[in-house]
Amino acid sequence: MFKIIAMKGYYGKLLDINLTTGEIKNTQIPEEDIKLFIGGRGLGTKILWDKLPNPGVDPLSPENALLFMPGPFSGLPIPSSSRTTVVTKSPRTSAVNPKHEHGSTVSYSNMGGFFGPEIKFAGYDGICITGKADKPVYIKIEDDNVEIIDAGKFWGMGTEEFDNALIDELGDRKFESCYIGPAGEQLIPMASILNTAARAAGRGGTGCVMGSKNLKAIAIKGTQSPVLGDHKTYLELLSKARKSFKDDHNDSLKFWRYGGTANALAYSSNNGTQAVKNYSEGTFGEVAKIATEANREKVWKRDFACFSCPLACKKSGIAKGSYSVMVHDGPEYETGTMLGANLLISDLSGLQKLIAVSDDYGIDIISVGNTIGFLMEAYEKEIIDSNYLDNIDLTWGNVDASLKLLHKICKREGIGDKACNGVKFMSNEIGHDSHKFAIHVKGHELAAWNVPVNSDRWSITYVTSNRGACHMNGGSPDKQDQSALRDSLAACNFASRWYNGEISYDKFLSAITGMDWSKGEFDKAGTRIFTLEKMFNYREGFDINDDILPPKFFENKFTVGDHKGAIVDKKEFESNLEEYYKIREWDNETSKPKNETLTYLDLEFTIV
Amino acid sequence: MNILIETSIYSSGHKSKVFVSYSTESYMYTYAYRFCNVLEIVYQKKKPMSNSKQYTRRHFLQDIAFGGSGLIVLGTFGFRIIKDTEQNLIKAISINFEKCAGCRTCESACSAFNHPIVIDGEKVNGLGNPHYSNIRVYHFNPDVDIPVTCAICPDTPCVNACPVEPDAITGRKALFRDNNMTIKNDTERCIGCMQCAEACAELRAGIIHPNPKTNMPERMCTLCNGNPQCVANCPFDALEYIEMHADRDLADLSPVKIAERLIKELYNINV
Repeated sequence: MFKIIAMKGYYGKLLDINLTTGEIKNTQIPEEDIKLFIGGRGLGTKILWDKLPNPGVDPLSPENALLFMPGPFSGLPIPSSSRTTVVTKSPRTSAVNPKHEHGSTVSYSNMGGFFGPEIKFAGYDGICITGKADKPVYIKIEDDNVEIIDAGKFWGMGTEEFDNALIDELGDRKFESCYIGPAGEQLIPMASILNTAARAAGRGGTGCVMGSKNLKAIAIKGTQSPVLGDHKTYLELLSKARKSFKDDHNDSLKFWRYGGTANALAYSSNNGTQAVKNYSEGTFGEVAKIATEANREKVWKRDFACFSCPLACKKSGIAKGSYSVMVHDGPEYETGTMLGANLLISDLSGLQKLIAVSDDYGIDIISVGNTIGFLMEAYEKEIIDSNYLDNIDLTWGNVDASLKLLHKICKREGIGDKACNGVKFMSNEIGHDSHKFAIHVKGHELAAWNVPVNSDRWSITYVTSNRGACHMNGGSPDKQDQSALRDSLAACNFASRWYNGEISYDKFLSAITGMDWSKGEFDKAGTRIFTLEKMFNYREGFDINDDILPPKFFENKFTVGDHKGAIVDKKEFESNLEEYYKIREWDNETSKPKNETLTYLDLEFTIV
Repeated sequence: MNILIETSIYSSGHKSKVFVSYSTESYMYTYAYRFCNVLEIVYQKKKPMSNSKQYTRRHFLQDIAFGGSGLIVLGTFGFRIIKDTEQNLIKAISINFEKCAGCRTCESACSAFNHPIVIDGEKVNGLGNPHYSNIRVYHFNPDVDIPVTCAICPDTPCVNACPVEPDAITGRKALFRDNNMTIKNDTERCIGCMQCAEACAELRAGIIHPNPKTNMPERMCTLCNGNPQCVANCPFDALEYIEMHADRDLADLSPVKIAERLIKELYNINV
């Protein structure tokens, strides 16, 4: 029997669905777990830890759990707090010296939009999917009414078409949904989960896990709200926050509305921090052709916001030219760099086409852009020839060739059947020292921020992130912990600058829960969440040998731009990493968090 | 026209040159800034130059919104909202579909105000689950978001459709126009026939829906005691509480129809 928990701001309820048996139940989330891990990414990782008590579970087996986690801010109109974190065991990562056949890291990937808030409205603190349906299905949730419905007619549909088809089937535009495209169905390891045909939980192979469960989509709507601990204080904080978004940092607000993350395309290129030509350069000479101004003039028609967000950083429009296409969200910094600058593509409509096709298949644009870049470099270095690439002339900047390869990857056709596994797999396939320019950490491809400039920050960011290379990780322990906290609350990173002083995150959390969250306790929770992920990975066989950068960064110097000559100093990197372990109080031989550290963080249960 | 400005940005102690370009068309601001942990933002502000060649559709909409003697919003969509003291006026919520970014803050604000909770004997805003909101934002693909709310129609097709006999003293049917111009339902007399909802769906935006438990009409705008919360909280100024021409064209206001027109206009796609 389900009991109402005393904990305010939550329901204490996890919607637990086993697709093998069709069993649908409400599982109690222990109050202690909510206190320690907050929600979203943190609580998701704790639930995953409990669901997978032993390491080495095949991420694509029915045993793996796929968690959709809103946070305590979800569903409340706290500005810019609509993120949904998908937590699962990653199909993307593997250790340098594997201890288990299927040893892989935790995967967490979050998306904006409206899905997370709607989970909360339906009366749940999370949704957990285990098992595997015997045929394609989707799940329809309206408060307590949960149905598993045949999705045979939708199987194979691109996300663009499916987005409308699902609404037609449901007959109610007020359902919020998330889904996979053909890439997830085909078990492409780098498949993503999308909502609104554009917003993606892109990283870490979440869509592949969803596909492995024969689950096409989840559609949800609801009528509920939790009871807050200190309702009046929450209302005061909310009106202060709304006022702050009107009055403070107006330049920042305009910045987001003007170009979203695409604004970073030009400035990152100028700063030498952009991934260009498979990370060979940090500056892209033709960046202006794909940057904000060009899109404002030629493509973007409208700005879109996530639930209760004043920033509206998503841009939609129509790209015309050689590749006419409807643009749901593009380019962002990541998508514009990985399929643009990184491949030396500056044809704006070509770039938009690549982004739109990727979103339609439902594939992680960061990983697929990185992989195409890797193959371009291998092709240029004549490690592979066009014969190997099914007669694709994969030269730098070639939109047609990239598009052909992208289709092959997403359909597992010919070379695509190999390439869809990412750069770590491909470098093992083609050999010839190609591992040196296979730009990944733990098997997960690096994102659009290049390493050599500000390498102290970016190298730590990538090598220590718990899902394998991750650009949202933060370059120091405290930044990493803050990032883990935001992902656990459901707050958006882009709006974090507003949440200081009297409207800080911990004050909101205190009002919601009615508990007195001090700044110290709150920060400690961030460290706890990050460390639990680390312990998950350690249990799966990842240790200090896996915290490494691709050799290219120590060997390749930038040849253009203000930062010509930039390279990562190996000694400096190693000493930074050593310093990092020291601050974290992790063992400097294994990188395992020390037992005292784990005890201090209330993670005794991870000590074997 | 684009102008490039050279400026500087400090990053990790190094001064870097950044070229910032700004357009003299519709967007006046451009910025250079350090990503993620924002250190510094530089921006230039420049007045747009008047140049007939750069007269964009956005300008056109701006002009029709603010030009002339009255206030007209979205003339291209056929319903004209004119501020003119000589005319018969009614005050209601006007929606600028150009500005809406689909964040649904209005839904939360409406729901929170109109579904308050009582704490220590005091009535305060609820948590605002959009399910209980009177204003609704509908998302369409290709991307447009269409907010719809009760237009407080001058000719009240909903009230006209109500079959309940007018009260001998007040002259009110079960559904009636209140003194503050809003449409209200007398739950004591309402028979739950939903003819009001049918009339609204057929002739207007289809706002009125039955309450699932009582089967009585709801979602008529309350104007929140004269300070509509949707308007007060819209981050994009897409909503306004203004006086409007009473005989404005209120046909074809259903979200589907507006979406069709907007999508055709924006993306040049017929749906």
